[in-house]
Amino acid sequence: MRIPFDRSSRSGLRLSTFALPLLLFIALCFLSPSFLSVQNLGNISGQVAALLIVSLGQLVVALIGGIDLSVGSVLSLATTIIVSVDPSYAPAVALLAGIAIGLVNGIGVTYVGVHPLIMTMASMTFVQGLSLFIHPVPGGTVADYLGSLATSPLLGIPAPLLWCVGAVGLAAFALSKTRFGLRLFAIGASPPSAARNGVPVKLYSIVCYVICSVAATVAGIFISGRVSSGDATVGASFALDSITAIAMGGVQLAGGAGSVTGVVLGTITLGLMTNGMNLLGISPFLRTAATGALLLFAISMQRRNVIGV
Amino acid sequence: MSVAYPSARQRLQGTGRSLLSMPFAYVGTVALLAVAYMTTPALVSPMLLLLIVRQAVPLAIAVIGQSLCVRVLSLDLSIGGVILAVSYILTSGIIRYPEPVLLIICILFGACIGALNAFFIVRIKASSVIVTLAMALILSGIVISLSQLRAPGDAPALLRYIGQARWGIVPIAPFVWLALFIPIGWFLRFSVFGRYVDAIGANPQAALLSGIPYARIVTTAHILSAVLAVFSAFVLVGFVGAGSLDIGRDLPLSSLVAVILGGVTFGSGRGGAFGPAVAAFMLTFSFNLLTSLGLGEPAKLMLQGAIIAVAAASYSAQRRS
Amino acid sequence: MFDVSPGHALVAFHSITKSFGPTKALSDFSLRGMAGSVHAITGENGAGKSTLMNLLAGVYQPDSGEIRLRGEPIRIENPGHAQRAGISTIFQELTLLPNLTVAENLFLGREPHRLGMIDRAAMQRRSREALDLVKSEVDVNKRCGELAVAAQQLIEVAKGLMAEADIFILDEPTAALNAPEVEMLGKLINSLKAAGKLIFYISHRLEEIFRFCDVVSVLKDGKHVATHAVGELTHDRLISLMVGRPLGQLYPARRPRIASASALEISNLLPAGARHAVSFSIGRGEIVGLAGLQGQGQREIIRAIAGIVPRAGGEVIRFGSTEGTKSLEPSIVATVRSGIGFVPEERKSEGLYLSLSIEQNVALGMLRRQPMWRYAEVRKPQIAELGARMGLRASNLEQPVSDLSGGNQQKVMMGRWLASGVDILLVEEPTRGVDVGAKSEIYALLRAFADSGGAVLMTSSELTEVIGLSDRILVVRDDQIVGDLDGIAATEESIMRHALGGLPGAGETRS
Repeated sequence: MRIPFDRSSRSGLRLSTFALPLLLFIALCFLSPSFLSVQNLGNISGQVAALLIVSLGQLVVALIGGIDLSVGSVLSLATTIIVSVDPSYAPAVALLAGIAIGLVNGIGVTYVGVHPLIMTMASMTFVQGLSLFIHPVPGGTVADYLGSLATSPLLGIPAPLLWCVGAVGLAAFALSKTRFGLRLFAIGASPPSAARNGVPVKLYSIVCYVICSVAATVAGIFISGRVSSGDATVGASFALDSITAIAMGGVQLAGGAGSVTGVVLGTITLGLMTNGMNLLGISPFLRTAATGALLLFAISMQRRNVIGV
Repeated sequence: MSVAYPSARQRLQGTGRSLLSMPFAYVGTVALLAVAYMTTPALVSPMLLLLIVRQAVPLAIAVIGQSLCVRVLSLDLSIGGVILAVSYILTSGIIRYPEPVLLIICILFGACIGALNAFFIVRIKASSVIVTLAMALILSGIVISLSQLRAPGDAPALLRYIGQARWGIVPIAPFVWLALFIPIGWFLRFSVFGRYVDAIGANPQAALLSGIPYARIVTTAHILSAVLAVFSAFVLVGFVGAGSLDIGRDLPLSSLVAVILGGVTFGSGRGGAFGPAVAAFMLTFSFNLLTSLGLGEPAKLMLQGAIIAVAAASYSAQRRS
Repeated sequence: MFDVSPGHALVAFHSITKSFGPTKALSDFSLRGMAGSVHAITGENGAGKSTLMNLLAGVYQPDSGEIRLRGEPIRIENPGHAQRAGISTIFQELTLLPNLTVAENLFLGREPHRLGMIDRAAMQRRSREALDLVKSEVDVNKRCGELAVAAQQLIEVAKGLMAEADIFILDEPTAALNAPEVEMLGKLINSLKAAGKLIFYISHRLEEIFRFCDVVSVLKDGKHVATHAVGELTHDRLISLMVGRPLGQLYPARRPRIASASALEISNLLPAGARHAVSFSIGRGEIVGLAGLQGQGQREIIRAIAGIVPRAGGEVIRFGSTEGTKSLEPSIVATVRSGIGFVPEERKSEGLYLSLSIEQNVALGMLRRQPMWRYAEVRKPQIAELGARMGLRASNLEQPVSDLSGGNQQKVMMGRWLASGVDILLVEEPTRGVDVGAKSEIYALLRAFADSGGAVLMTSSELTEVIGLSDRILVVRDDQIVGDLDGIAATEESIMRHALGGLPGAGETRS
């Protein structure tokens, strides 16, 4: 059942969406001397870049009321493809694979009618297996050009920041300036009303899942360049992390509300939390637990009328 | 005209119809055994089959709980975290109490986690997939970080006995499963609660509107699922003989797959209680078969992903027609 | 009859028949609508008004017969097709996307664009022009979710104008408007008419029909009763065209009303979203019918009593339960536990477990008083006996309910409550989609239930049913109870008079 909008700001941005990262930032400035160093800030941007790209893809799917749990596995798959296929066309193969997975997810959800959580859980599992099959042990070599794309600064600007800006710019443009973006909001609010206005709802929904998988693939290519290896487990946390990031950014998982700004803020919040725990010497596993708790908190803020899946 | 009871002929027709719509697990097991016999005859020896039955016990126990959750249109993916936590509590000595008390503490712990899951799913109405996945994350994060300070150790003697001992050639572990399966299965079949579960699965909206205590039933399902995960952990820890950080990691997904193969789909309990149990055995057997054919973890995952997708798709297609 | 030379009809329906399952919504229906006129379509519940307009709007297609647009036969496949053919529908449920702005809503699907980007300046400019046409002063950049219903209606009309529609269908347009807004709507309608448009005005509000419309067509039971120029008719004549049919022998005998113990007292009950609170009581042995036109608040009242729709105020007091007199909590679980059953109107989606057997469905009722953790005591012979008593036609009790006919399904649903031992029943539409034979059996069940000390509150949009079955009739209009009539003495006309009378929004201001 669709939740009715009352104060419908379709960005979903609230005071807390801005306040949280700001407070975290300030707190960390006090709590850790090395927080404000150039190196640390560079670290943050490197860690956050991939998550941001994946989260932007997740945003697109969330706007139409869907969700994609397979993004982590798709990311891992991309890294394994990069190290297993001839470098001159490895990215192309990875992108093709991403598109194929997005198509399967999209068709399963829209035409066959499988619940998005179940469909993407199935593809997540399958793709995870596929990645392990292609490249069981982390390692391999990544072509130099990819490595430098992911790490070399351009005009003094660190590479991750460039990727972030590129992704954010593209997403912001698509959502606010194109007809496609506007119609996504319409579909999220009410698919029948959107259809009545001539919006091809099923087609657009499939495209959204494809975009999400492609975003995950791009993030995977970025990561493979950055760590210079292929790893079938590197993407494991990205599914839940991206959902946490968009939920913290005010995106309504029921569809129809969300913004690129929110996703950026949510990702920064998550990144600051991770970085902060790192600097304070907290075990990475406690970090995972904290992320889980944050996810519980974030989805509790969402409104839903259904008990169950 | 008055209402009558089914005639013998109608009963026969009914049986025929239900044979055809039987859960895939039955047919699948027979097919698997046939394939195994042809490729790796050694796998089909009684001794080994019994070992596989024993190996399947933790999954079979978890499947009881998962199938109940699925029948009330929910899911419990936190069982991996529960198992990890329980194995840690039992083997690391972090809580110093005699064995029986430890076991009870673990069961209570499971009940609490189940209640916590239920709180988010029923009161806050958050998605059960996300809630239980988040809970698994929290539990595994805490346990693994604790284990850096204090490593897991050996399993308690009682559990090792249950997990590894036999009476003659028959392992004891399946009896643990039986001891849980029979009462719970009986309860679900004959109690008022069980009938309410059938109702919720058949039409949740009607169940809500007819005053059935929906929230309490889903809460019970989740608590039961978590407690059963604790029992799974008991048996698993018993097998392995020691605590481990990898224990039970594949159980959440496998339990969902076994439930689906066993004929329980979102909303219907077709296949009753036996279907998922047989499916647990079938799945464990197929994993062993895959391993013996040289295909390992990757094949397991791909197979499970494919099964979920195909089953969910066919259920959707059925519902439309 | 209003005579019209054939060549000028903008829209014509020729011998249209449309059925939904066993129900014939329209039979052999013919009608003409002229350009430059405001054409009222009226009739009581279930007369076929919505079906007729939905056919024109492309939501349904006729089973037989023909629709002609400007003299040419046309088959309107879907709402998009209707829009392109120049038909604009403003339904009661508004279809603007709440999270899009006015401008975005107006242009959704045909947004002006340059170089791949939405041309927002052009969109805003043209939206402003469209809104000026309907004299709306709303800011085109405001999100539609923040606008009042009246403003949204105007925007829907503007949308139709932009699509250069020739035919506008307004479905109960003044339902949510206050007096000044109704004025403005009237002026808008006049300007549309002056521009040569045809406006179909679906309404029960007789004063509006007389005020705004040129022609009125009356429907009854899916047939076209009459079409007259508004000037030729009076209020009473119009009502008598809408009602008046033989009652038939369907209904069990009733005894004249005598004072009886109270079963349920509704005190200042305000369902969430309703405009007024209601107070009434139901006695043992009584069947009370909530009558009136559809959508006047009956459903919200009965569901608020049941605890399904939240309450914004008021109390429901139950007498004679095992715990004495108590005020009911606003939850369906509490309601059922205190011995009150709720029979919803959509039996397939809300009331029955279609994949379960008859026995399983009825047994669920028997379990009401049994604690959840105990063995389920289901006495099969009792179920069989109940089935026989209800005249249930099924080959055996193990049949899934989905196999049964509508009437038998309804009986199973009722049977579940009869087996549960409740002594108060809240029933929505007791015989919707049920054949005549089953109808009389269900009436007999309800009568027997009441005669043995039970109390029944029912909503029904079938006037004859309400008159035939109820001991008392409460007529609901605009969320209020405007009449308390004796069942035996009531007539269709007396009920309709209560259901229709009065000016819309008189003395009320709404923002």
